[in-house]
Amino acid sequence: MPMTNILSSFRGKKAGRAFILPAVIILLLLTIFPFLFSLFLSFGKVSFLGGLQIHFAGLKNWLRLFNDERFYNALSNTVLIAVIAVAIEYVLGLGLVLLLNRGVKGSTFFRVLFFLPMMLTPIAVGYMWRMMFNPTRGPINHVLPLLGLPAVGWLTEPKIVLYSIILTDIWQWTPFMILILFAGLQSIPPALLEAAKVDGASGWRLFKEIIFPLLIPASIAAILLRTIEVLKIVDKIYILTGGGPGIYSESMTLFGYNLGLRAFDLAYGATIAFSLFATILVVSIIFLLMTRRSQEISLE
Amino acid sequence: MFKKTRRSRLILVLCVSAVLLSALGISPALAQKRFEGVEITVFTQTPPFIAKPVQMFRADWERETGGKVRLITAPWGELYPKMFSSFALGSQNYDIIIFPAAYLADFASNEFLAPLDTFIAADTRIDWLDILPVYREKISTYAGTIYAVTMDGDSHMFYYRRDAIENPEHQAKFKAEYGYDLAPPKTWAEVRDVAEFFNGWDWDGDGRIEYGVVEGMRKGAQGFWTFFSRSAAYTSIPGQAQGLFFDPETMKPLINDPGHVQALEDWIEIMEFGVPGMINMDNGEVRSVYAAGEAALAIDWGDVGVISDTDPGSTVKGKVGYSILPGTTRAWDYVEESWVDFPEVNHAPFLAFGGWIAGIDAKSDNVEAAYDFLSFLGSPENSYICVTTPETGFNPFRKSHFEKLAGWYGYGFVNPEDYLGAIQATIAHSNVQPDIRIPGAFRYFEALDAQLAMALAGAKTAKQALDDAAKEWDTITEDLGIEEQLKNYRASLGLPIE
Repeated sequence: MPMTNILSSFRGKKAGRAFILPAVIILLLLTIFPFLFSLFLSFGKVSFLGGLQIHFAGLKNWLRLFNDERFYNALSNTVLIAVIAVAIEYVLGLGLVLLLNRGVKGSTFFRVLFFLPMMLTPIAVGYMWRMMFNPTRGPINHVLPLLGLPAVGWLTEPKIVLYSIILTDIWQWTPFMILILFAGLQSIPPALLEAAKVDGASGWRLFKEIIFPLLIPASIAAILLRTIEVLKIVDKIYILTGGGPGIYSESMTLFGYNLGLRAFDLAYGATIAFSLFATILVVSIIFLLMTRRSQEISLE
Repeated sequence: MFKKTRRSRLILVLCVSAVLLSALGISPALAQKRFEGVEITVFTQTPPFIAKPVQMFRADWERETGGKVRLITAPWGELYPKMFSSFALGSQNYDIIIFPAAYLADFASNEFLAPLDTFIAADTRIDWLDILPVYREKISTYAGTIYAVTMDGDSHMFYYRRDAIENPEHQAKFKAEYGYDLAPPKTWAEVRDVAEFFNGWDWDGDGRIEYGVVEGMRKGAQGFWTFFSRSAAYTSIPGQAQGLFFDPETMKPLINDPGHVQALEDWIEIMEFGVPGMINMDNGEVRSVYAAGEAALAIDWGDVGVISDTDPGSTVKGKVGYSILPGTTRAWDYVEESWVDFPEVNHAPFLAFGGWIAGIDAKSDNVEAAYDFLSFLGSPENSYICVTTPETGFNPFRKSHFEKLAGWYGYGFVNPEDYLGAIQATIAHSNVQPDIRIPGAFRYFEALDAQLAMALAGAKTAKQALDDAAKEWDTITEDLGIEEQLKNYRASLGLPIE
């Protein structure tokens, strides 16, 4: 290779690195450093007296976490909300996408209508549903007795509260599933579906053999993104119940917020945050492994 | 010659001006605006509540002094972290903070705030002695030093529907059922009976079902203050230093003693006679529910009184009665570890939250200007306007606030004497209990709040929940240092520090 080419390629690499460097520095400063600092905090004890002081505390915070009944309660609440909400959102989303795709009259209007809840902030959704669920002045409990049904303590009954929160999440985020799955559906070549129809495939076989398998990549993305989001749920719960009654609706993030920022126990708050990070990481890896395995089986 | 004449005229004009200014009582030096070019930064809660007074008065102060006021606000949940980190890291983000009194111990014990005794002693505008003793001597003071200017007077009080209680039919029915006269409840036992009596029927004839009581119980909100309002009389014996939070000799938590357990059992029971969903209500909701005429009784700060009479949407204007918090006929003596019976009702009104106070960063470059602004904002005249204006979030705390009724009538109150009388009776009570004021106050509150919520939800008994809370309080105290916390706690109570 001529010398000039080597030099220009070297210059090209150097120049490339120089261009990337600011982005790398910003990433390190804004993402990696706080991440590592929080991890470090989870092994420390924080004191602000005489300036910020962090003393190494070993596994103290982690041992406290594993012996804390509120941690296990928050973890099980969060996982339960994530599993039920995402499953229902996916099934509902898929059903509505198939309906919209069949060219139902006014489907454009419904498409816009379905997306509206997703555009609201979770805080606004929380307040709206808090009014809807109000035991004495809310419209839901106003209608139930007219139908001969008893009024329900939607946000005050320990056995019901999580399902009320799940309901609000489904209401708000099913449109997200519709959005992703609709895009997936649009990417299926129409010729493929036409060919199957010509070959006499029924609607169910069309769905089972062609549409659903081809929607799997979009489904994986939608389910994974929603699962990660729901595992971090905090805003709606904060407004709807504050984690109550008792701690029956306290999520991991709310638990971390209460201990880390309300009680200002930063080290323990960081420990809770990292346990949530670990949970999300484990759930994501398991989910990706499972879906990869199922894709391999379907290819075989 | 011409130049000389002009200079002479100029000198003459200056002399005449000086004489005129002196005659008006203004020296030439003072005629220059005293804080020209100085900018002070005030940090407090997001408007309207608490920030509104700063917005109302900053232009006047700027005009008078030449200084500038920059207002920075944050939501409630971010106040403490932002204030504490600004002080602790020495970043001097704010000259003035307007903050909940519960934070004072954290800030004062760490010497984050400038002592204000000298400023106050030399200040003719602030009229310090007009501020009620409990606020100036306890709430704004730490270990004998004044660190804050009182901006707001806060205490829990009790509300009842006069039209319901004074109704002769109700009185006859109540006497037949309970064997004594229906009257504004004086004890927590009577609160239970009256709440039960008025629960679940249309006692005001509006075609809708009403309920007995409404209290803020929501987790993560103000529930723990309601609990202490209920437990204070069960645990505070007149003359004893403290029975509500810790033993001031050992720092042992008192929150699981029989007095507190009794109060929590009462609180759990009262849910049966409350507005449905009360367990999830914060005090904001308590106010709207009560103003909508849904309950006969309520516990709240002064706000239920304000909203009931002044909110255009209120259905209970002029129908609300006000009183000091109910009491008990016995209280737990933590020293003797036994119940003490009282021939008369033992009241122990609770200064829940303690009000908003304003302090100055000890490292501020503008302490003098900052104090001047606080003195201006907290002066008798301006503070009176604040406490009688909607959405300031400030309640009366000066003697003069209670004496001038015109502003209260103008505010919309039907019976301001009764309202102010109940607040005065609370604040001036000999057995009044201040809120907890030690470092880590909100860590203790958070731990208790979760346990109270579990007891209210039926996940634990009152005793189990409070035992668990006491264990957590012990852990927090150990974490923060028992000796240090004991010292701080004694200082907060005005007890000698050994």
